[in-house]
Amino acid sequence: MSEEFDAIVVGSGITGGLAAKELTEAGLRVLMIERGREIRHGEYDREMKAPWELPFRGHGDAARYAQDYPVQMLNRHFNEWSEDHFVNDREQPYATAPGSDFTWFRSYQLGGRSLTWGRQCYRWSDYDFGANKRDGHGTDWPIRYADLAHWYDKVEQFVGVSGSAEGLPALPDGQFLPPFGLNAVEQSVREKVMERWPNRRLTIGRTANLTQAKPEQGRGPCQARNICIRGCSYGAYFSTQSATLPAAMATGRLTVINDAQVETLDFDPATRRITGVRWIETGSGQRKRASSRLVFLNAGAFNSVHLLLNSASEAMPHGLANSSGVLGTHIMDHANTLSAAAIMPGFEGRTSYGNRPTGVVIPRFRNLDTIDGDGFTRGYSFQGGALQGTWTRGKHAPGVGAEAKHALREVGPWRMVLVAFAESVPRASNRLTLSNQRDPRGVRQLQIEFAHGAEERAALADAKREAAAMLEAAGGKVLFGGDQPGPGGTAIHEMGGARMGHDPRTSVLDKWSRAHDVANLFVTDGAQMSSSACQNPSLTYMALTARAVDHAVGLMKTGAI
Amino acid sequence: MVAPDPAPIRPSAPFSGNRRDVLAGAALFALAIGLPTLAAHRIALPADETPTPTEEAVLRRVCDIVVPATDTPGALAVGVPAFVALALAHGLEGSRAPMADAPAGAPLRADGSLRHLTWLVQALMQAGGGAFLTLPPARQVALVTALDAAAFPPGPPPANPSPWVTLKALILDGYYGSEVGASQELQYNLVPGRWDPDIPLEPGARAYSSDWTAVDFG
Repeated sequence: MSEEFDAIVVGSGITGGLAAKELTEAGLRVLMIERGREIRHGEYDREMKAPWELPFRGHGDAARYAQDYPVQMLNRHFNEWSEDHFVNDREQPYATAPGSDFTWFRSYQLGGRSLTWGRQCYRWSDYDFGANKRDGHGTDWPIRYADLAHWYDKVEQFVGVSGSAEGLPALPDGQFLPPFGLNAVEQSVREKVMERWPNRRLTIGRTANLTQAKPEQGRGPCQARNICIRGCSYGAYFSTQSATLPAAMATGRLTVINDAQVETLDFDPATRRITGVRWIETGSGQRKRASSRLVFLNAGAFNSVHLLLNSASEAMPHGLANSSGVLGTHIMDHANTLSAAAIMPGFEGRTSYGNRPTGVVIPRFRNLDTIDGDGFTRGYSFQGGALQGTWTRGKHAPGVGAEAKHALREVGPWRMVLVAFAESVPRASNRLTLSNQRDPRGVRQLQIEFAHGAEERAALADAKREAAAMLEAAGGKVLFGGDQPGPGGTAIHEMGGARMGHDPRTSVLDKWSRAHDVANLFVTDGAQMSSSACQNPSLTYMALTARAVDHAVGLMKTGAI
Repeated sequence: MVAPDPAPIRPSAPFSGNRRDVLAGAALFALAIGLPTLAAHRIALPADETPTPTEEAVLRRVCDIVVPATDTPGALAVGVPAFVALALAHGLEGSRAPMADAPAGAPLRADGSLRHLTWLVQALMQAGGGAFLTLPPARQVALVTALDAAAFPPGPPPANPSPWVTLKALILDGYYGSEVGASQELQYNLVPGRWDPDIPLEPGARAYSSDWTAVDFG
């Protein structure tokens, strides 16, 4: 039987959308399968709503949230405007192993988490790609920065990343649009930190929000609203809807199916190829199948692993592409906590206008050329920013009546926060398995077993000390700080489970993101990650996706696939 | 970060409370922007979450004391009491979480959460020597001011905060989430259109209710 499509892409989020764009632009006929509903660009129902136009003035129905969104509601950006951009936890259950606490934030919809992501775009350096080899945790990456630099360039130019070039070895510069500016407090902190610690650099967050329009993509510049989570009808931030889907559709070679939960992949042991993709129509419950020469898994790190585990067969009894036995293991997130919050006096006469859609970052400065971490060998970095409070400070202070009302009319004092993201060490004990419980459609649920370790805690302890030291050096008065990570999943950087490696006996994917065991299967979302670095990972997933597509198309042209 | 236990939602009964609070503030505004009615109005309160006449009267008076009319309308004109009742029924600001170390006699629901309005009436009546609504207005202001001051003592926040902290938060949510509070008392600008990182802060400049990061982090 001849294949119906040249390629099937499972998932429509950040990497699925990009895979579909790259594959269709290379001339392939592509089917993209999305488990959630369709959301059309520009049709973001609550994007323009004022608080007073919503039943709960933006806060949402907490009683309904407790029933339907007990995990998703813990996301700071989950609210009455954005609730439809998150999964209903009751309808999309997952299991956690005894003793594991994992908050899994998910967006099952066309565009996936490209609609809800934090938009921070950072390159990895060779400190990151070399980390596993250096300290022996996990398995060595089969690639280095030089393998990816060209693909970072290509992806950044399409995505549109604003940022400031800083020449930092730990955080390579990219193809940047003009940066959003630092406010008065951040500029001062940058200068004072640099004076005292020349290797520490506060810089503006590199973000996928356009500071210049991309008319060729039909995308306008950022309007400085900072309500990206609602969807942006200006197309000012990168999403499937704003960027990759229109490009893929323009080729005339993309077919999209929504409301289709992919359940299994058919594997032919004779040819070592995927011969079919099977899904459940979530509306009707009917099961459907399609075939293709090439399959890209972009379902989101844990869901791509879930699909492989659920595709066990006689030939591969422990899960598809799992001859190594490491499928599902070495999952990671980032250990994430608020390291310091401080009052920043001395800037009372200054303010800003507009809502900047990014914060600041202080890139990794630990464990670079020398191991100087106390109890940890990896990195951490800070994100945060300085802001002036508004009326909500009235919730935490005494005061009623006309005088208090007038006081809350004023712009609040400057504060600054630094949030640490510490690198998650890859460990075999942090793993995904199939639960015996089933979801409402009858599919075995994914079970997550995860705990942060001593290295991450040591990194966060150091981060707390250093955050306070930097803010105090800049004249701040630290109010509080933490060194305990939130539950796994807090950073929403869950990754790993189908790691890339040199050796088919100890890794799932080769250096091209292709399964060692399956000739026509590529996994290019977060599942492929062998280590976590401490940067936001999406840009790296995208660069790896573009690179993998290029390689796959090359294999097809030579007839190898 | 542990999610609160799901709060049971009881069968809804028709809204039987006093609608004047809602209508007074909302009607003009609804006319102005063509909304059929205040959005909050569409949600009916379950029968056993509808404030008693006394609770409603006390809540109205307290809202008026916390956010009075000044050169802009206050809490009563924009329907804050109705919002607070709705918010309490639906657990906003964690108000349906089981009360930790509830004192004997605290008015609890079956789910262990505090009935904040019942508590409010009890607290003010007790402080007022058995009366509140019949006291002179200045005395009412003094009692609410004292309740508020006691809930925010100097130093770190108490481990078991006063229920007033939740009530006050909901009053402020209701007021600054209203059209008047958000865009007359403060400034509301959904589409700033640009980012100016560093400009002078003009004396008397009003804060933005649409500065979402500031709203989140207070």
